[in-house]
Amino acid sequence: MEISIIAENIGGSLNPVTAQIVSVAKILDGEVTVVCPGGFGVEEAAKISGVSKVVSVEGDCFANFDGMAWSQAINSAVTGEILLSSSSNFGREIMAIIAAMRDIPIIQDITDLSADMAITRPILSGKAIEKLEIGGSCCLTIRANVFAAAGNDGDADIKTINHTSNVGISVKEAIAKADEKLDVSEAEIIISGGRGMGDPDNFSYLYEISEIIGAAVGASRAAVDTWEQIPHSMQVGQTGKTVTPKLYIAVGISGAIQHLAGMRTSKYIVAINKDPEAPIFGVADYGIVSSWEDALPLLKTELEKLVLD
Amino acid sequence: MSIAVLLKQVPDTTSKISFSGSAVDLSAVTKWSISPYDEYALESALKLKSEGLGDIIAITCGPSRSSKILTDAAAVGADSLVHILVEDLIHDSRNIQKLLSSALNRLNCQIILCGKQAADTNSGSTGPGIASLMEITCVSMVSEIKIDGDDLIAMRNGPNGQEEIQASKPCLFTFDKGTEELRRPNVRGIMMAKKKSIETLTPSDLSVELLNSSVKFDSQISPPEKPPGQKFQGADSVASVVQKLREEANVI
Amino acid sequence: MAYTGLDFYGIEDLLTEEELMIRDMVRDWVEKEIIPNIEEACRNGVFPDKWREDLGNMGVLGAPLKGYGCPGLSYTAYGLICQELERGDSGVRSFASVQGSLAMYPIWDFGSEEQKNHYLPKMAKGELIGCFGLTEPDYGSNPGDMITRAKEEGDYYVLNGAKMWITNGTIADLAVVWAKLEGEIRGFIVENGDPGFSAPEMKGKHSLKASITSELVLQDCKIPKDRILPGVKGLRGPFSCLNNARFGISWGAVGSAQACFHSAKEYAMSRIQFDNPIASYQLVQNKLAWMLREITKAQLLAYHVGKKKDDGNWIPEQISLAKMNNVDIALEIARMARDIHGANGILDEYPIMRHMANLESVKTYEGTHDIHNLIIGRYITGIQAFTRTL
Repeated sequence: MEISIIAENIGGSLNPVTAQIVSVAKILDGEVTVVCPGGFGVEEAAKISGVSKVVSVEGDCFANFDGMAWSQAINSAVTGEILLSSSSNFGREIMAIIAAMRDIPIIQDITDLSADMAITRPILSGKAIEKLEIGGSCCLTIRANVFAAAGNDGDADIKTINHTSNVGISVKEAIAKADEKLDVSEAEIIISGGRGMGDPDNFSYLYEISEIIGAAVGASRAAVDTWEQIPHSMQVGQTGKTVTPKLYIAVGISGAIQHLAGMRTSKYIVAINKDPEAPIFGVADYGIVSSWEDALPLLKTELEKLVLD
Repeated sequence: MSIAVLLKQVPDTTSKISFSGSAVDLSAVTKWSISPYDEYALESALKLKSEGLGDIIAITCGPSRSSKILTDAAAVGADSLVHILVEDLIHDSRNIQKLLSSALNRLNCQIILCGKQAADTNSGSTGPGIASLMEITCVSMVSEIKIDGDDLIAMRNGPNGQEEIQASKPCLFTFDKGTEELRRPNVRGIMMAKKKSIETLTPSDLSVELLNSSVKFDSQISPPEKPPGQKFQGADSVASVVQKLREEANVI
Repeated sequence: MAYTGLDFYGIEDLLTEEELMIRDMVRDWVEKEIIPNIEEACRNGVFPDKWREDLGNMGVLGAPLKGYGCPGLSYTAYGLICQELERGDSGVRSFASVQGSLAMYPIWDFGSEEQKNHYLPKMAKGELIGCFGLTEPDYGSNPGDMITRAKEEGDYYVLNGAKMWITNGTIADLAVVWAKLEGEIRGFIVENGDPGFSAPEMKGKHSLKASITSELVLQDCKIPKDRILPGVKGLRGPFSCLNNARFGISWGAVGSAQACFHSAKEYAMSRIQFDNPIASYQLVQNKLAWMLREITKAQLLAYHVGKKKDDGNWIPEQISLAKMNNVDIALEIARMARDIHGANGILDEYPIMRHMANLESVKTYEGTHDIHNLIIGRYITGIQAFTRTL
């Protein structure tokens, strides 16, 4: 059985998630082909352990992203029975279009999978886990950072296919991301500071970290009330915002009931506080008893390493 | 010109989810709403309508209770309402895609708006799949659509910022978080909405045969209990906590 | 947890689809506009103009009035609007009650066609704000002996007197002032800008702080003759208005009680003491159960009296009972909720003491608790006990 993996590029290089998808293909025990749309990441893909072939699909249509055009081109180059990609926005779109072209089923955002295609995926924003079984030809998109990456001692053959599809879109203008601060109520990751930060200027440490992981910066009521420079819009808590991020990092926050009311339904909570008895440790999944002065520089370094990985 | 907006009814995102037997207990859901990303699509359609682009056809595919979201759409300004009535849960997006594209082909809409993914399945297959079946342009991750003469310009979100995309019609746009929240109805809109009739269609009306899929539903369960909180002494533990955030919690 | 309201006996199943949509529209507005901003509005003693605009745009002002650009909704819908507004704050609901039931209603029922066409459409949109001038410094429960008087002078009426405790007064474009013309109570429309009319704000309130409360000062206030309300003479005029407002309040109080109940329940579930959430202790459960009991009874009263209003088959005493009971239990629930919140209950982190302080006013205005008791006492016995000859 041939398994085709649609690779994605990140800044012109192969997105490292591709190596994780290869591991998934190995679970399914098929011959792995990696398809690189637009010719990105071809050499790197060939080095992933367990990859038999790399197919680079090239053509004018790859100049800008056009879901239908790219899917047509990729579809013509894919010969696998099972198609895999990551469940990024790109992966979901391309795979959905290809699945419809091929009239095969598609399952998105898979977090677990067995050799006989028993599939697990989250639904209802993670409030439930769904188990499905699938047989035959299909498209599967895989959640990033759940499966371990395959190694990189591979040496696959590389083939290039040229394909032109009709493009239905044109890019009039590209606008770089504005340096806008993410709002706490919308962020998937939040790092908040409390009165324990000592001085509003120290929130700069939190901002630095927030930029590394794409987080919003929040604050406890105590910080907002004490320091004019910390605006009410940052406040998380009973009279501030109620947030449900996947990760909430509370720094120098004691964890008074009013603050907990605003963040206790976060998926994961990390607390950094020098007081081992601080109530925040009662709700933290990972509590670090340490002053923020000691912990934050290390946190910054570790997160930088992780993100570059 | 008509603007089609595809809406899905889902458990309100604030609802508590409970389980009965081996599946989510949908009968225990106390509040049903329009899927949030679909709301952004609807707001965009309303804005385009107010700028003279055309009238709005709101379409949903779902069981009888989902007609409510069509009434809600009418209350904010949707002009016609279409309900493709299918009672059973469908685990294969292909059926939904076929039904919706069949309805859309009959309506001859040049512009189709929908959310990028539904808040219940969290999949995101329906929109692009429909574009594929209809063989029309697909632009995803849109936050806003503007009129530029005869063309439509969509703001597409990407990892590095936004792109202004000019799309050839007919085109399907899937919405990420939009620039505007769905407007609130007013009393007048609500009272007028009850006068709007809903066109109900069945799969046979659309000449669509629902297939038995190769996707077999097994179960839906509560997510596993998180392990009890772990407490570490000293800043040296930061490195291992970050590791755990990646490996155990999978949040970074 | 997100607010869902308490509906133990399933009143929701009795509502029409439109009534539910209207309720949800107001609930959503309160959630987004009132809840995040009310504490600051109270601290500053301000009723933000945006709220007036939003209420006008939503089309909820003068809810049960038909024609003249008014919403023409059922009384049940009006009740639901009041319930949701007061879940946010009694002061916000007071604005709507005064605008709709006390200022728009008398023009609608007792005004001339010209008056109705001139004022009502703009009031429904919130473009003109109205207020109701009945109560005086020395005449509260006894409005019949009011001393504000009107005298005919050529093409004008000249009014003299003072009104007190007037919601919206200082921000109002017009006031429906009740005054004695040749000893008989009549309604007069006084406009902001009429000579001899001023509406200073009453400051220093501990209650309804986000509501504007004013005095109306009439010193040789000269108004054109066409400003008199032709359709009513005597106390029937103001009392008809009050009955409508009281009806809205009977629902509003339920909203306030629900807000306090919801907060108390959430707090009790998360507050840990002696290693357990306090919701696990019997005394706390007893309180929560009592709250549920009273809210449920109050809902049934309000719902039923709304149906009677819609059927046109009601007497004022039935509204008195609902207003009196529902506000009374709402205040008790607010106090009990404060108790459950412990010391935290005194902070404006929680809405409790704001509701509690507000309800003191709500218990007093639109007929005090004791007066409604006497209204019912008179109904039972046929003997009025408001006054006696010493």
